[in-house]
Amino acid sequence: MITPDKQTRSQLIEIQKQKDICLEGNILKLFKINNDKEFNDYLEYCNTKDKESRKKRIAITKQVQEQNIKLSNLVDENQQIMTDLQNKITEVEESKLTFEVQNRELNEWKKENLELTEKLQIEMLNAQSAKSEALKAKEMAENDLDLLQKKNQTELISTIVKVALYVIIGVGIITTGVYIFTLIMGKDTQVISSAWSNIFGILLTNAFSIVGTIMGIKYASENKQ
Amino acid sequence: MIDSILLVDDEDLFHLVFEDACSLLDISLSLKSVSSSDEAAAMFKKWFDEKTPQYRPECVFVDLNIIGSSFDGIELIRKINFEYGNHVVIGIISSSNESEEQSKALQAGAQFWIIKSDEIEPRLEEFKKDYDGYKDRTAPFKIYK
Repeated sequence: MITPDKQTRSQLIEIQKQKDICLEGNILKLFKINNDKEFNDYLEYCNTKDKESRKKRIAITKQVQEQNIKLSNLVDENQQIMTDLQNKITEVEESKLTFEVQNRELNEWKKENLELTEKLQIEMLNAQSAKSEALKAKEMAENDLDLLQKKNQTELISTIVKVALYVIIGVGIITTGVYIFTLIMGKDTQVISSAWSNIFGILLTNAFSIVGTIMGIKYASENKQ
Repeated sequence: MIDSILLVDDEDLFHLVFEDACSLLDISLSLKSVSSSDEAAAMFKKWFDEKTPQYRPECVFVDLNIIGSSFDGIELIRKINFEYGNHVVIGIISSSNESEEQSKALQAGAQFWIIKSDEIEPRLEEFKKDYDGYKDRTAPFKIYK
């Protein structure tokens, strides 16, 4: 315990009165004074002042502590946000890489498609050209066939006409010969003359009928085409 | 009143709060604060090796997790109790309230566990009342919530 001498005691009290400078802290607890009301009042004043200042300081310190805790929490939150952001950036970068790869693949496919399209166009042109050639060939074949048919028809008609004419001429010659022979021989020509004229008339009628039929068939076949 | 107290805590602001609270409550005459368990262990080792127990604090308050230290508060208590001669009232002052940690502290020789919060004064006042029991080793392990 501390017991100050009279001069120290008086100086301490005077300084407090003049400048309000007091002893403070735990040293105050070491003073023990008996029967000195003035110095005890001084110590009590110092103690009260010390406690008030400590109360203020403790309040401020606690406030700072709270703010520090809040700040620390905010830092943690910021850190979390930064981590999340970094993760998102990584995800976006990965997505970007994926998109780039997909884009590259799409471009390759597009290129392949263009090449295929070009090939298809070439093949299409070839096919069109082949088709037109085939059509031409078909047309030519049809024309050839038509010509052949016409030729065959004409040949057939000419054969028929020839045969018919040969038959008519033959029959005409034979009946005429028989009629001439009968006249030369002096035989009765009444029957044969009428027969000859009948046969000749029939032959001429048949000949014109044949020619008419042939012409009709030819005309009908031309219209059908 | 406790003659001398040592506070081991990494939070400097808490040093001020604790010092002011102890002063306001007339808990101690002198108070020293250190920020790491290594520093505290070195101090106790020195007093133990030099056989100067008179310099040791009467009571030690140790934080549980001391950032920047080689070991935590429980290990420091174990070292003080089992390696550096004991003879101090020692306990934890921490914001943690985990029973597992409290059991470990008890095994290491902690005598009390004060939960650190904004209102530390009522707990210190209660501790002050129980202090004599801790000093003569009759008070059981207590948690100040």
